[in-house]
Order: sequence, then structure tokens, then C-alpha cells
Amino acid sequence: MADSSALAAKRYDSGSLSSVSMETISTLTELEDLEKVYQQLCVEEKEVEAQLDRLVGQEGAIHTKMLALQRMGPNLQLIGGDASQLSGMITFTCSLAENVSQKVRQLDLAKTRLYNVIQRADDILDLKFCTDGVQTALRNEDYEQAAAHIHRYLSLDQSVIELSRQGEESSAVDASLVLLQEAEQKLKVIVAEKLDEAVAAVDLAQVERFFKIFPLLGLHQQGLARFGQYLCSQLASKAEENLLLATGGDLGEKRALMIFADTLTLLLEGIARVIETHQPIVETYYGPGHLYILITHLQQECDRQAQKIVDKFILQRGYHNKFQIVQSSMMKSAPGERIEPRELDPVLAEVTLMNARAELYLRFLRRRIMADFEVGDAQSITQEHQQNVEKLLKHCALSTTMQELIGYYIPMEEYYMRESVNKAVAMDSYEKGQLTSIMVDDCFYIVKKCISRALSSSSIDCLCAMINHANSLLESDFREVLCNKLRQGFPATTLQDIQRGVSSAVSLMQSSLQQGKFNTMGIESTENAKAAFLVTLNNVEVCSENITTLKRNLENDCTKLFSQGFGSGEQAKIESCLSDLISTSTKFKDLLQEGLTELNTTAIKPQVKPWISSFLSISHNIEEEEFNDYEANDPWVQQLIVNLEQLMAEFKVALSPVIYDTLTSLMTSLISIEMEKTVLKCSFSRLGGLQFDKELRSLVAYLTTVTTWTIRDKFARLTQMATILNLERVTEILDYWGPNSGPLTWRLTPAEVRQVLALRNDFRSEDIKRLRL
Amino acid sequence: MARVRMSMEDYDYLFKIVLIGNAGVGKTCLVRRFTQGLFPPGQGATIGVDFMIKTVEIKGEKVKIWDTAGQERFRSITQSYYRSANALILTYDITCEDSFRCLPEWLREIEQYANNQVVTILVGNKIDLAEKREVHRQRAEDFADSQSMLYLETSAKESDNVEKLFLDLACELIREAKQNKLDNNDNDRPMPGEGKTISYLNCCSLT
Ligand SMILES: Nc1nc2c(ncn2[C@@H]2O[C@H](COP(=O)(O)OP(=O)(O)OP(=O)(O)O)[C@@H](O)[C@H]2O)c(=O)[nH]1
Ligand SMILES: [Mg+2]
Repeated sequence: MADSSALAAKRYDSGSLSSVSMETISTLTELEDLEKVYQQLCVEEKEVEAQLDRLVGQEGAIHTKMLALQRMGPNLQLIGGDASQLSGMITFTCSLAENVSQKVRQLDLAKTRLYNVIQRADDILDLKFCTDGVQTALRNEDYEQAAAHIHRYLSLDQSVIELSRQGEESSAVDASLVLLQEAEQKLKVIVAEKLDEAVAAVDLAQVERFFKIFPLLGLHQQGLARFGQYLCSQLASKAEENLLLATGGDLGEKRALMIFADTLTLLLEGIARVIETHQPIVETYYGPGHLYILITHLQQECDRQAQKIVDKFILQRGYHNKFQIVQSSMMKSAPGERIEPRELDPVLAEVTLMNARAELYLRFLRRRIMADFEVGDAQSITQEHQQNVEKLLKHCALSTTMQELIGYYIPMEEYYMRESVNKAVAMDSYEKGQLTSIMVDDCFYIVKKCISRALSSSSIDCLCAMINHANSLLESDFREVLCNKLRQGFPATTLQDIQRGVSSAVSLMQSSLQQGKFNTMGIESTENAKAAFLVTLNNVEVCSENITTLKRNLENDCTKLFSQGFGSGEQAKIESCLSDLISTSTKFKDLLQEGLTELNTTAIKPQVKPWISSFLSISHNIEEEEFNDYEANDPWVQQLIVNLEQLMAEFKVALSPVIYDTLTSLMTSLISIEMEKTVLKCSFSRLGGLQFDKELRSLVAYLTTVTTWTIRDKFARLTQMATILNLERVTEILDYWGPNSGPLTWRLTPAEVRQVLALRNDFRSEDIKRLRL
Repeated sequence: MARVRMSMEDYDYLFKIVLIGNAGVGKTCLVRRFTQGLFPPGQGATIGVDFMIKTVEIKGEKVKIWDTAGQERFRSITQSYYRSANALILTYDITCEDSFRCLPEWLREIEQYANNQVVTILVGNKIDLAEKREVHRQRAEDFADSQSMLYLETSAKESDNVEKLFLDLACELIREAKQNKLDNNDNDRPMPGEGKTISYLNCCSLT
């Protein structure tokens, strides 16, 4: 085998066609090997022969192909010639085209130059025309015409003019130019003088006439400044007149209260009217975007005049003085000089109205300025524009003065609110038959009034601040008042007194008298203390409701405000402040819950507990005779129901339906818990179980009628206990247990079931133990 | 716990942080650096108050940040926000001695208007202007110590310590809120009717 692989290796080395080379053959000595090689060669020979046959078979086809190729020879030569001819033609066409287009380019150039020449000629002609025209117009005092010529001259291409001066006509052009420049200067002076004259003469038609000429001379800023000055002086004299009327004249009492707000309104409306009137002329002759400049001029006068009004307001109303009194009386509780909240009413109303007017005016300005910018090009409202407008509107003296007034307003309004609420609390009373006392209504009336007043200022920050103050007043101070009232507690019930007998109450008083101190907690004052507690509970609930309502109403009011265009940031601010009211409302709800729990523990529990435990004294270890006897004379449950009815009657009339319902719910929970405890202490016969089942049914039926809450759930465990106590045999429980429980969900654990079963004196404990639960 | 609103809407805690301090010390820049990640060029003085809500990267807690105006005439607006604030960031400008000297006045305001569980942190801003520093770090630290306040120096411009300021504060607030939740019965200032163990005067002693 090793040899054969050596053979194979040799075969590739020799590179001969045959797989076996001559040298290999000549080295072979064994016959066996020779035969093997021979056989191999024979196979190879056969293969070669077959291959040869195949090749010979292909000869015909190859021959035909050769013939066809020979025939194609001459055609190919033809194609070669045609191709070189085509190439020549293309080269020629190409150079031709290049030639032509160069000429066209030259023509184009020539054409533009020609146009330029014509333009320049036109300009030079215009220049001449303008020069002549200006002179004539000036002579004729036709300033509009003169300005139009100057405008034409100013709009000429300066480089063209420069070029013209270098041409042959240079001296003529120079002369024209000099004339024109002189005329321009002259016209500028004249127009300025004329405008000043017109301003001095308060001749609006002439003022407007020359105002329109300024932009033609490229003097936009100057024109707007002078025109602004004119309008300002108009505004100033009108405003001074109005302020004089306001402070001097004899006014009706009603008008007098708001006179500064009215005067400010007149001023701002006057300016708004001026802007409205003159906007078209500015837009037409100065182009869009210039209104802003005019308004900055007007705003300066507005600031001056508004300041004067505010100064007078502060002086005459004693605004700062009032603020100082308020502040010092809020800082220290010691009685210094105090101010009646009522005295603040007019000034608070007036200052909010003033601010509202200023806000309205500033919104008007913003709208107008932005619209004017937009007319030009909406895109052209750059950030710089925006910032300028913001600066003008937010930082103008009118704004800052108003911010100062509002800064004083807020503590005064807060004082007004606190003092008025304190008064309402101090003067609290309630009428018999009413669920709540007047303090709650009064308090919310005041809070609403103060917040509404803040809202009417149109200042979001002012509104937010007052919402914050109102919230903190309600959450801390006012809640504290109610909380303290609840802390007084609910005194022992009359029923207990009756049970003890009036005589004992009398003896109690006598003993107090003997000790030399009369117990003020007499029967009457006990009644009062009770009523006070119950009324307070109602108050707390109404407060919680009122706060929610207040929030909802404020939200609606604010939606209206926002439709007038305030930023989304402002809205978010208000929403955040309003949302604090909700948590305050929740705190009142919590307080109510605590009060009710307290009432339940002090007034209901001590009564109900003995009534329930009296169940123990009624034997449920009974036979037929006693069962029938119970049937005729109910031993327990009817009395319990009567007692409960009496106990709750007092609360039913004195508490709001919602609170009463919650209290009843607390009571029913209490009953179910106490009943359970009691029943587990009893022992039952078969009929005793039946008796208990009857009693429980009556009780549940009664309780279902007194509350809207579901009772069945609370009594589920007891009902199941009754079912167990009612069984015939111990094993009967299995009919209801586990897979047989059907829709019934057991609330009792297996251990509890056994415990209840054991209450039946006829059930054997072995049977109970044996149960598989 | 007036300061923690539990499970309101979709967050467990919503902390209110209010920035106060003299005009121009950089309150608005700090807030905008933190909430928007930028240093606003040409920031104008704040009018009234501004506010934003931002989710802090600690367990998704949300903070409501109120940025107030430092100018005197807005003081009464600003004061109305103190009471419900969980934290106050009292800011001054390290390059402005005056803003530092006003701090006692601000502390008096806090004393008067804020609730007494408020967390106050003193912040010296603009530390990028080191060469113009007028208030030495040690001095500010001593002052903060004496008032038992936290102290941090920041630069809204270079974003130094800004993130840290708000995150530290949020951490502190969360820690306190949890603490409060645990022992809300022994509040240092028991709000009437708030704890579960309000004991009414027992009037049933007649029986
Ligand atoms: N270099 C430097 N400048 C700052 C930094 N923070 C704020 N400024 C600049 O200080 C100026 C006032 O910044 P504001 O953020 O507007 O100050 P403010 O405290 O909000 O001021 P009011 O709103 O008026 O109370 C602006 O010009 C800011 O560019 C800071 O970290 N470094
Ligand atoms: Mg600011």
C-alpha cells in the first residue's frame, strides 16, 4: 500500500499525460505491480479514445463557424472607416459651437453694459431733473414736491453718481450735485422749522404735513421724535387738566372714590386713542416697524403723567400711611394704631382698578407693536425686537409704579382678609335649626371677596399671592379655630342624665354649690356645648366643600382671564397655587373624620356598649316555652332599637345628612364589633340560636333603614355566626363549608367556626374537634 | 405635615423649593441652568415670580421651583410663597459684598414667613468670577454655620455645583419627609388636627 501512494506521488511529479510515467514502469519488477499498471493504462487508453472521438465529432461545427467569420471580414473594415469619419464631424461641430457661444456671451455682456449706460443716462437726466425740480419746488414752497425730488436723488446709486462725475459731463454733474446737496440741507432745515412752528401753533394738519416729509429726507428717527414730542405735549396738557379736575373740583361722592383710577383711565385711553389715530400715517409714510419708536416716545410722557397721578393718589388716599399702620399691626399683636378693614375697601378697590387699566393698556401696546412688526415681515421679528418690546412694557415707569402699588396692596388686602375673618369668628352665632353657624358663610364671603378683588387687578402675581394668603389663612388660622372648638369635646349625653335621674343632676349642682363653686356646666350649657360641637362638625364639612367650590370657580374665572392672552407660564402659576387649595380642603375632611371619631367614642360608644352587653343577661339557653315567651315579649332587640333611635335622633336633626350618615356608619361598625364580642361570651341552645338569628335579623333590618351605607357587609361575620348557632348537628356545617360554600364567602376562620360551634351547649366538643375544616 | 403632599397625581412627594436673595445675584440663572441646562444671555430682572416643575433624578421625585424677584417692590408677592415652601435657597453674589450683608435681613423674613421646618441652604453664586470675589469662603461658611444652614458655592455660568445644589436639597427633603412619615406624631410644631393622636379634652368626667 505504501508503494501505491508512492506511485501516485510519482505520477504527479512526472507531469506526463498518463497517470503512470515511463520511469515508474521501468522500475517495476514485480509482475503483480506490472499487471496493475497495465490495467490502469488500458483504462486510460479507453478514456483517451473516447475523448478523441468527441473532438473529431466537433470538427464540422467549428468549420462552419470559421466560414462565417471569414465572410464578416470586409464588413468590419467598412465600420472602421465610418467611425473615424464620424469622429471628425463631431470635433468640427464642437469647435463651431464654442465659437458661437463665445459670441453670445460677448453679446450678453454688451447688453448689460448698455443697460447700465441707459440707467446712468437716466440717472443723470433725473439728477438734472431733480436739481431743476427742487429749485422750482422750493421757490413755490411746494415742500412735498421738493422732498420727492430729494428722495429720488437719495435713492440714486451713489457709485453711479461718483462715476458720472468722472465722465465728460463731470462739471455739469458736479454742479447739479452741489445744488442738490444744498437743497437737501435747506429743505431739512425748513421742514424742521416748519414742523416746530406747526407744533407751536398746535396746527395738527401742518404737523402731519411736515411729519410726512421727514421720511422722504431719510430722517425717520427725527420725524418720529418731533411728532412724538408734539403728541406728548398734547397728552401732557390734557392730563394735567384732568388731574386738576380730579383733585380740585367738586365730585359726586361715588366718582370721588374712584377718581384716581378714572383719571389714570382717561390718560391711558387718551394715549391709546392717539396711537390708533396715528398708526395709519406712520405705517404709510414711515413703513412698518416704526410704530414701536413712536410708542417709546409716547410712553415717556405716559410714565411722567401716570407717576403724577399715582403720587397724588398716594398723597390724598394716605396710601403709604395706611400701609404702614397695617404692617405694624400685622407685625405685632400689641394694640397700636389699628385700621378698620372696612376703611380699606375703597382704596383697595381703586388700586386694583388702576392696575387693571395699566395692564389693559400695556396689552394694547404689545398687540399694536407686534402687529406693526408683523406687517413688515413676520420673520423679521427678531429676538432683539422681542426683547426691546419686553423691556419697554415690563420696565417702563408705568409698570414699575404699578408693581409698587400692588406691592403695598397685597399686605393690605391680606390684613383686610385676616381682620374681617377674625371679626366673623368673634361674632359667630347660629340660629336654632340651622346646621352651620354664620361664621363659615361670612368667612368664605370675605375670602372670595378678597381673591376676586385681587383677580380684578389683572395681575397674575397679585392674584397668586392672595390665593396663597387665603390658603394659609384657611389652612392654619381658620382651621385652628374649628379645631379648638372640637377640642372642647362633646359633653355627656342628656340620655345619661335622664338615666341617672334629674334628681342626681340637681344633687350634683347642690354639691357644687356647697363647695362654693357653681358648676357652670349646667344642663343648659351642656346643651349649648353639644350644639356647638355638632355645628362645628357641620362647619368643617361645609368648609371643605366651600374650598373645593372656591377653587373650581376661580379656575373658571381664570379661564376667562387667559382668553385675553396671558402666557402659559402664568397659567401654570395659577394652577399651582390653586392646587394647594385642594390639599387644604382635604385637611378639613380629615378634621371632620377626627371629630366624628371623637363623637363616636365619647357620645355613642359609652351608651351603646352597655345596651349590647345587656344581651348577656338574656338567656339564650332556652327551650320551647321560653322561646314562645320571647316571641310574645321581646326581651332585648326591640329595646335596643328604641334606644338607638333615641340616641341618634339628636344627631339626625343636628348634623348634615352626609355627616350623619358617616356617624351612623361608625355606630354600626361599633355595634357589630361589640355584638361579636358579646355573643362569644354566651351559650346557646338550639332554640337560643334561632332566637339570636331572629334578633340579628331585626337589628340588621333596622340599621339598613337608617343609613345609606351597606350594613350587610359589616354584619357578615355575625350573620355567619348566627347561621352556625342555628345548625341541627355539628356536621351540618360541612354543607356550607369548603366546596359546598357556594356563593357564601366565609369571614370566619376554621378556628372561629369551632369557637362558635362550641357556644352551642348541645354540641359535643369531640364532634367539633373531629370536624375537618 | 403641611409640607409633603402625599400621592397627589402621579408623584409621591412634590417638594416646593423657593429661591430668594437680592436682585441680580443670579437666582434665575441658577434655575435655568438646572431646569434647561443653559446660561441665558442678557437675563432680565424677574418680575414677580416664575415657576417650573422638574423631575429630579432621584427616584423620579418632582420639585416645584419658584424663582422670585429680588427687587424690593416684589417683596410682598414673594413673601406669600414662603409658608408652603419645603426648602429655601438663599442666594447671594460672592462678588458683591452688599448682597452678603443683606443676608440677616433675609433670615428675618424667613423667620417671619416660612414654616419652621423649612430647610434653608445658603448659596454663594458666581464663583467663576474668582478675581472679583468680595466675600471670602470662610466668612460665608462661618455665617452659614452660625445660622445652622448648609452652604454651597456655585456658578450658574460654568454650571459648577448647580446640579449638586438641587440634588443635595432633594435628597435632604426626601430624607426629612421619610423621617416625618415615621414619627409624624411628635412634630416639633404639631398642627392641630393633623396627627392621629389629638386628644380632645375629655368632658365625660361627669359620669
Ligand atoms: N459670571 C457670572 N454671572 C452670572 C452668574 N449667574 C448670574 N450671572 C449674571 O448676573 C446677572 C443677574 O442674574 P439673574 O439670574 O437675572 O439674577 P436674579 O437673582 O434672578 O435677579 P432678580 O430676578 O432681579 O432677582 C445676569 O447678568 C447674569 O448673566 C454666574 O454664575 N456667573
Ligand atoms: Mg431673576
